[in-house]
Amino acid sequence: MSAHAETDCLNLTLNIWRQEGPHATGSFEVRQLQDISTHMSFLEMLDCVNEDLVSEGREPVSFDHDCREGICGMCSLVINGQVHGPQPETTTCQLHMRHFKDGETITIEPFRAEAFPVVRDLCIDRTALDRIITSGGYISVNTGSPQDANATPIAKPDSDLAMDAAACIGCGGCVAACPNAAAMLFTGAKVSQLALLPQGAPERESRVLSMVETMDAEGFGNCTNEYECMAACPKAIDVSHIARMNREYMRASLVGSSP
Amino acid sequence: MLGWLIRTASSSIGKKALMALTGLLLIGFLVVHLAGNLTFYMDGDGAAFDSYAETLESNPLLPLAEFGLLVLFVTHIVLALRVTKQNRDARKSRYAVRATAGGSTAGSRSMVITGIVLLVFLVVHIMDFRLQNDGTESMAALVREELSAPLGAGLYAVAMLALGLHVSHAFKSAMQTLGCNHPKYTPLIEKVSLGLGIVLGLGFLSFPLVIFFLGGSAAGGQA
Ligand code: HEM
Ligand code: FES
Repeated sequence: MSAHAETDCLNLTLNIWRQEGPHATGSFEVRQLQDISTHMSFLEMLDCVNEDLVSEGREPVSFDHDCREGICGMCSLVINGQVHGPQPETTTCQLHMRHFKDGETITIEPFRAEAFPVVRDLCIDRTALDRIITSGGYISVNTGSPQDANATPIAKPDSDLAMDAAACIGCGGCVAACPNAAAMLFTGAKVSQLALLPQGAPERESRVLSMVETMDAEGFGNCTNEYECMAACPKAIDVSHIARMNREYMRASLVGSSP
Repeated sequence: MLGWLIRTASSSIGKKALMALTGLLLIGFLVVHLAGNLTFYMDGDGAAFDSYAETLESNPLLPLAEFGLLVLFVTHIVLALRVTKQNRDARKSRYAVRATAGGSTAGSRSMVITGIVLLVFLVVHIMDFRLQNDGTESMAALVREELSAPLGAGLYAVAMLALGLHVSHAFKSAMQTLGCNHPKYTPLIEKVSLGLGIVLGLGFLSFPLVIFFLGGSAAGGQA
């Protein structure tokens, strides 16, 4: 009975980043955790930390989360130096404590990039990504009665590729994992998705030009093709979407019809 | 009228495209440079190498070619420094713990360092063999003199290892930057990139090694 309980429970040391606000200097708080169930998700483990903190009369650790099922892109965290933790293709909310060892020290940091200022503790401001999207990551259509679904033929390989790019949940993990804090995988995924589809064609040139301009203005770095983004992406978005954006950008710049 | 050009060349993607283009042309230059240098091994007394050097120097268009090379190097280096500065500025607060997720390679991680080693090497190299060469001495003798000294051989050897590492990532990186990524040929590009790194790195590395350890005698040099 107790042997069973032991294998299903972990004692952990946490180094958690605490920071009062955007301009405060942060530091790590060390906390000991006892009897953490291996069946918990990483965020449930943090919930336990916060229950303890609240019962001690202290401020809980702020961290972003929403759906907790790997689809909304709200959760973040750099866990022992890895974006969304050690499991490939897994968001932090879908990461379980069984991937950690008893007695392990876990260092938890926010996503770090100048374009992602810390709001508090582990919460960061990722609205720079929203501004990239609003600068062109959409198609303009008149709403009205829907047209026939078969009216716009799309080749299967193209629709598959566009779907792969559309899997982006916008978590910003690519930026956090990139040694240059570049947002090329995020921006590339959206440019690529819309460039592959006929619906995206009318705004193809203006879209890539203005999304890249916004991306640069937000202070993200330049891509040096390290591919850490792809390795860290919880949706395994491929860097070929970055190459497609590079093509789209040079095409629009060099031979495009917009001035 | 040239607004689009300035906008493109100063964008993140445009800067990288220019770096990639200049880098690819520099790789092309290095292939030709290595082929020329290999004449050093063709005969015993370095006569083939000397005559290759003479032919090159007597070409009236050489200054034009040199100017072209200078433009390539300066463009590549200035952009590399600018890109690196911007990339540093994009993350000022460092991670306390950093672990790779498996995307990067030794070559990709060390581009800035190998680039700086190459920059230092370039200055020394041009001073050694371009500016110091008054045309009176045999080129082969000058090379042997320079590379039989421990300092010279050491610097050249380190720089050529850096070159190999730089190019092994540079070629495939440039292809991706220029938009060439496709399941059909990306695996080939990766092999070519590694191959270029090995051939150029080891090819140029052979000169300091052979001359320092064998006194250039593999090239038949009687010292
Ligand atoms: C011998 C000559 C050189 C050759 C053949 C060469 C070639 C290349 C190529 C093809 C790239 C890839 C560009 C891309 O991905 O878009 C590159 C990247 C780079 N080069 Fe060079 N390079 C040379 C010398 C230098 C020097 C002297 C520096 C000095 C600072 C330098 C710094 C860099 C840096 C920092 C990068 C990485 C940036 C990136 O991947 O975007 N390189 N190089
Ligand atoms: S909380 Fe929604 S993806 Fe993790």
